[in-house]
Amino acid sequence: MRAIMSTMPSRTKSSLFVGACAITAALFIIASRAIVEAPQEVTMGLVQKIFYFHVPCAWLLMLSTLVCAGGSLSYLFRGSERGDRVGLCAAELGVLFGLCVLVSGPLWAKVAWGVYWQWEARLTSSLLLWLMLLAYLLARRYGGASARQLAAALALFAAIDIPLVYFSVRFFRSIHPHTTVVSTLGPGMRPAFWLALVAFTALWSVLFYARLRAENTHARLVELEVLLDQAEEKKP
Amino acid sequence: MKMVALAYGFIWLAVLVYVSLVGRRLLRLDGEMDELRRRIDRLNR
Repeated sequence: MRAIMSTMPSRTKSSLFVGACAITAALFIIASRAIVEAPQEVTMGLVQKIFYFHVPCAWLLMLSTLVCAGGSLSYLFRGSERGDRVGLCAAELGVLFGLCVLVSGPLWAKVAWGVYWQWEARLTSSLLLWLMLLAYLLARRYGGASARQLAAALALFAAIDIPLVYFSVRFFRSIHPHTTVVSTLGPGMRPAFWLALVAFTALWSVLFYARLRAENTHARLVELEVLLDQAEEKKP
Repeated sequence: MKMVALAYGFIWLAVLVYVSLVGRRLLRLDGEMDELRRRIDRLNR
């Protein structure tokens, strides 16, 4: 796919990107309608509707971490600059969607549990995952000479935290809903949930593509500047 | 209702801020590209 995309003219790529943005917007419109029409949960009422955005954001936090770790592995063991750029873009999106999880969750918890925050396994491991991605970005910016290696190592530690986040509700005593909550949704709630998940994943893909393309262009510009410096020095 | 609106509002605001940051970065790249074009023109003269 990458080979096909790289041989395409820029205008074709732009058209594909605009098309992807339009599909994402359409998915969000359809998902919003499904969320509005979905029946209210009996015990929690309207506040349960946060679920339709909260869970997709949590999924994207994990997806971003996995992509970041994959890119970082490729950079650490194969020296892939592209892998490093993939890691950076995924980490940024991980911080963005992680922040959405960490804000929407407590707002829901305040109504459902009566408190904004509990230091229990799921919430604490999610906060830890988000902090590790934030540390990845800070290490890259202020880490000095070996900043990228340090950040890549942090991304691998963050990936180790994913199973802990996911299975924490099974292995530890937790007030957070279990991983089986999706399969127990009522028939009226399922389409809203899956549509929201697909729409958010499409949004992630569009943002990731745009950000990666900007990062690739920047890398190419830096290479060209070096070549130009050399050419200017040689010119009499 | 207030909590639902706050949660949905925050998520959209965060996405919009990120999109605007990426947009600013693309504008900066455009500037860098223009500067590179000017340097190539000067070199070719």
